[in-house]
Amino acid sequence: MKTLINLKVNSRDYEIAVEPNTTLVDLLRYDLGLTGTKKGCGTGECGSCTVVLNGKPVNSCLILAIQAKDAEILTIEGVKLPQGLDPLQQAFVDKGAIQCGFCTPGMILSASSLLKKSPKPTEQEIREALSGNLCRCTGYQKIVEAVQAVAKDDERE
Amino acid sequence: MLLPKFEYHEPKTLSEAGRILSEMGGDASILAGGTDLLVNMKRGKASPGHVVSLSRIEELKKVGRDQGALTIGACLTVADLREVGHVGADFKGLYEAAGSLGSPLIRNLATVGGNIVTARPAADLPPPLIAYGATIQLVKEDGERTLPLEEFFKGPGQTIIEPGEILCSILLKEAPLYSGGGYEKLGMRKALEISVVNVAAFLALDGPSGAIKEARVVLGAVAPTPMRSPSAESALIGREPDERLFQEAGEKAAGDARPIDDFRGSAEYRSEMVKVLTKKALGRAYEEAKAREWRRWK
Repeated sequence: MKTLINLKVNSRDYEIAVEPNTTLVDLLRYDLGLTGTKKGCGTGECGSCTVVLNGKPVNSCLILAIQAKDAEILTIEGVKLPQGLDPLQQAFVDKGAIQCGFCTPGMILSASSLLKKSPKPTEQEIREALSGNLCRCTGYQKIVEAVQAVAKDDERE
Repeated sequence: MLLPKFEYHEPKTLSEAGRILSEMGGDASILAGGTDLLVNMKRGKASPGHVVSLSRIEELKKVGRDQGALTIGACLTVADLREVGHVGADFKGLYEAAGSLGSPLIRNLATVGGNIVTARPAADLPPPLIAYGATIQLVKEDGERTLPLEEFFKGPGQTIIEPGEILCSILLKEAPLYSGGGYEKLGMRKALEISVVNVAAFLALDGPSGAIKEARVVLGAVAPTPMRSPSAESALIGREPDERLFQEAGEKAAGDARPIDDFRGSAEYRSEMVKVLTKKALGRAYEEAKAREWRRWK
C-alpha cells in the first residue's frame, strides 16, 4: 500500500506516494528523476548512492523512502551554485579527481559534509571521511588533493 | 537489488511498538539503522511480512548521564555515540570500536542496539561493552528485564531476546578510578571491514600505581559469540601491570579462544593474532587508566 510522504530535496518540497519497499535511492532516481545519485552495490559498501540526509551523509540504498518522511535531503544536483559549480566541484575538475565519474557525486557529498564540520581537515581526516566511498578508477590521491585544495582556498580568504 | 514486499509500521512510542510486535508475532522484524536488515532482505535472507521501524521513537535515541554512569538509547547511531563527550573521555575502548565500525556513511545510520541484537560474532561494539561491564534493558508489552550484556548472546545471530521484545537501552556504570579500556581490531583494510579478530580489554588498578584489581578481556570473532577470557583475566588480577604481564595474558587468551577457519583467516592465524591484539588492548587500557588519572588532576 502506498503512503503519501512529504520531503524536501535540494530545497524543493515534494509530496509523493511511496511503496514501503522503495528505497530512498530509487525514489530519488526513478520518481524524482535525480539520477546524479548513483546506484552501485545496494548494500552500503560502495557509497555511490551517498546523499546528505538531515545534515549527515548516508547510503541512500539502505534507507526506505518512507523513512525520509519530513526529511531534508541534499543530492549532488543541489550542490551546484546559481553562478556555477561549487568550489569543491570545481576543484574535482581542476585536479583531475574525476575519472569515470561514478563515485564523484558520493565523494563530493561526503567531502562537503566533512568540510562543513571541519573546514581545515588533515589528510588523514579527509581519507577517513571518504572511506565509505569507493573509487574503482583508484583516483584517490587526486580526490584527496581536490578536497585539500578547497580547504586551502578557504584559508586564503 | 530489490526489497521484497512488506507492511511498514512506524510507532512513535515504545509501548506502541511493543503492542504492534506482540500482535504480529514472529512475522515482524524490527528496523533500526537498517544497515543489516535491509541488506539481508535484499539478499533474500530475511523476508518479514511486517517491518516495524523504531526511528520515530525519540526516547530510544537519548543518552542519559547520572554522575559517571551512562544510559545509551539503543537507537543512538554509532556516529552520535562518538559525539557523546563522556564516551571519548571515560570509555575510550568503546569510542575506538565505534570509530572502526563500517564507514562514516554506515555509522550515520547504524545503531548501537542494532550492532548488539544482530549478534554477529565479529561485531565491533559488544566486546568493549562487555569489557566495561555493560548491562542491557529489554522491554516487552507486559514487562521488562535487565541483564548483563555477556549473557545475551547464544550463537551467530542468536540471542536470548524473545519475540516482541525490544532492546531499549545499554547501561554503563561509572568507570572506576584508575581504570581504563582499550580496543584492538584486525582487518584486511581500515574501512568497511569485518574483524578477523578483535579484542577489548578493561583494567582497574588498586591506586594510581597499584596492582590490577579488576580485569576483563573480551575476544571477538574467535568463537560463536564474543567471549571473555577467564585465563587471561585471572592471570592479570593481583599483579603489577607491565608489558611482560600483558604478553602472558595474551598467551592465556589465545588458549581460551575457539576460532574457526574461514575466508577471513585460519584458526591458527586467529589464535596468534589473539595474543598480539590482547597484549596491545591491555597496553591501551593501561595507558588510558593513566591518562584518565592525569586528566582528573589537571
